[in-house]
Amino acid sequence: MNRTAPEQHRPGITATGLTVGYGATTVLDSLDLELPAGAFTAVVGPNGCGKSTLVRALARTLRPTAGRVALDGRPLDEWRPKHLARHLAFLPQDPVVPDGVTVHGLVARGRHPYHSPLRQWAPGDDEAVAAAMAATGVDARPDVPVDSLSGGQRQRAWIAMTLAQDTRYVLLDEPTSFLDLSHQIDVLHLCQEMRDRGRTVVAVLHDLNQAARYADHLVVMRDGAVHAQGAPEAVLGGEPGAALVRDVFDLPCEIAKDPQSGTPMVVPLARP
Amino acid sequence: MRAGTVLAVPYQVRTARVLTALALVLVALAAATLALGDLGLSPADALAALRGDAGTKTTFVLERIRGPRLLVGAGVGVALGLSGALFQTVTRNPLGSPDVIGLGAGAGAGVAVFTLLVPGSVPAPVGAVVGAVAAIGLVYLATGTGFSSPARLIVTGIGVAAMATAVTQYVVAVMLRDQGAELAAYVVGSLGSRSMEHVAQIAVALVVLVPCVAMLAHRLAVADMGDPLTDALGARSAQTRTLAIVLSVLLSAAAVAVSGPITFVALAAPHVARMLTRAPGPNLAAAAVTGAVLVVGADLLVQHVPFLEGLPVGVVTGGLGGLYLGYLLTTGWKRTR
Repeated sequence: MNRTAPEQHRPGITATGLTVGYGATTVLDSLDLELPAGAFTAVVGPNGCGKSTLVRALARTLRPTAGRVALDGRPLDEWRPKHLARHLAFLPQDPVVPDGVTVHGLVARGRHPYHSPLRQWAPGDDEAVAAAMAATGVDARPDVPVDSLSGGQRQRAWIAMTLAQDTRYVLLDEPTSFLDLSHQIDVLHLCQEMRDRGRTVVAVLHDLNQAARYADHLVVMRDGAVHAQGAPEAVLGGEPGAALVRDVFDLPCEIAKDPQSGTPMVVPLARP
Repeated sequence: MRAGTVLAVPYQVRTARVLTALALVLVALAAATLALGDLGLSPADALAALRGDAGTKTTFVLERIRGPRLLVGAGVGVALGLSGALFQTVTRNPLGSPDVIGLGAGAGAGVAVFTLLVPGSVPAPVGAVVGAVAAIGLVYLATGTGFSSPARLIVTGIGVAAMATAVTQYVVAVMLRDQGAELAAYVVGSLGSRSMEHVAQIAVALVVLVPCVAMLAHRLAVADMGDPLTDALGARSAQTRTLAIVLSVLLSAAAVAVSGPITFVALAAPHVARMLTRAPGPNLAAAAVTGAVLVVGADLLVQHVPFLEGLPVGVVTGGLGGLYLGYLLTTGWKRTR
């Protein structure tokens, strides 16, 4: 009989029986999920299916009412907040831009987990901040106030802040929403670059075709549960893929191949 | 600023310059406080005092009259400036301060109840602290969520402040006779006839509370980006907010205990500090020194300017604060249009 490896050796993020809600409303009910380490995972699903709630719970900014999330096999509750923040970064959907903060000032805030009351500068700060700004292309004008930037530049600055945190896991809640198309693709490329440097990236995305094209792993949610997951081709490809989109999004469609990447592409059917 | 890898506190050049300038202004105001008027000290007197061979008059003025008044004013200003900066940072409300949620009004009501309704029960400063703590405790309970929701905190606090004012007015209306003067000093803050005992009280409070604020400062520096992001950076938004409000209330209560409620300093000092440094974040040091400048400056006015002479300093800070608030509201209103 085959025994699986002991749980503590299993890396990545796992959710077991995860139940999360707001007040009396339960959004996620007993959800089980294991996210592959070192991959770019896209979480997709219709509005209100619990995608954002899921990543917030994975980042411990929402506390589950039952079940648990574990990072590297260790329950999140056992991590000290600052220690967790050195391993896992989370960019919420609508962060508040502080009054008067500059690009450099904002990115440098990502180093907070490495600081203490008396030591508000740590070895490696300057390098990490410079590398994060270079990787996101916001290093040209570090002294510009963030609130004067365009939406796309601003989002790059926020992503630079999470990069400066220098974590193995990066969770992004709808990082492409409210951006125009070229800036959406920009952010998706950034996600791929983070993955190429060995990070595990999890992003909530709205666009199925972008998710299928840029992510390695899809998690399709519906009504607070994981409906399907796997490689984009396995989840969305062919007739089963079309059936899944009909089920989950209530959208009659056929699946074509993306002419550039060959990944599944959802094409809604014309009205009869 | 770095000392090895153990101590490292970042600062901005502009903030350092502003702090230096504010400190110089404070020194000038202090010199004027000691030098002006009938009891004023000459430079020769001051030098003699520094050498330790001052005359009786100089010693009397320094230790009994102007000295305590100046030191209490500066200490109260620092406490109020920090208190306001803490409160505004974690509530993300530019008009927030412990005054707004009823601390000053509660202190006034406390003094009114203890000195007039049950005279001789406790000294006025104790009554002020009891009233202030009771008002803030009531706010904490009445919000239903403690200090965690800024909006509820402010709305509930305005209600509690109104109730506390009503209590004071009731007591005054029913009881006011000869204890009116003592009550007035605690309904409107004053620095008149302070002693070295008051100096010691505010000094002890600052020695205990300022290090606590310093320990929280690095978390406050990332507490203005929304709770989820603050949490994701490991800075525990809910705990940081509660600690900051508790420290803010304690600092204001310490100030109220030695001077009565000197209004609007906690509200205005952080704004002035931010305007001067143009730095993001709580600007704690600048707010503290600005608070001291505002209180000592206002007190200098009530000591020497005709028509203001002899008024409690709280009347002047209230008046100036009202003007400043009006200015803030109109500029804010113009910007949002």
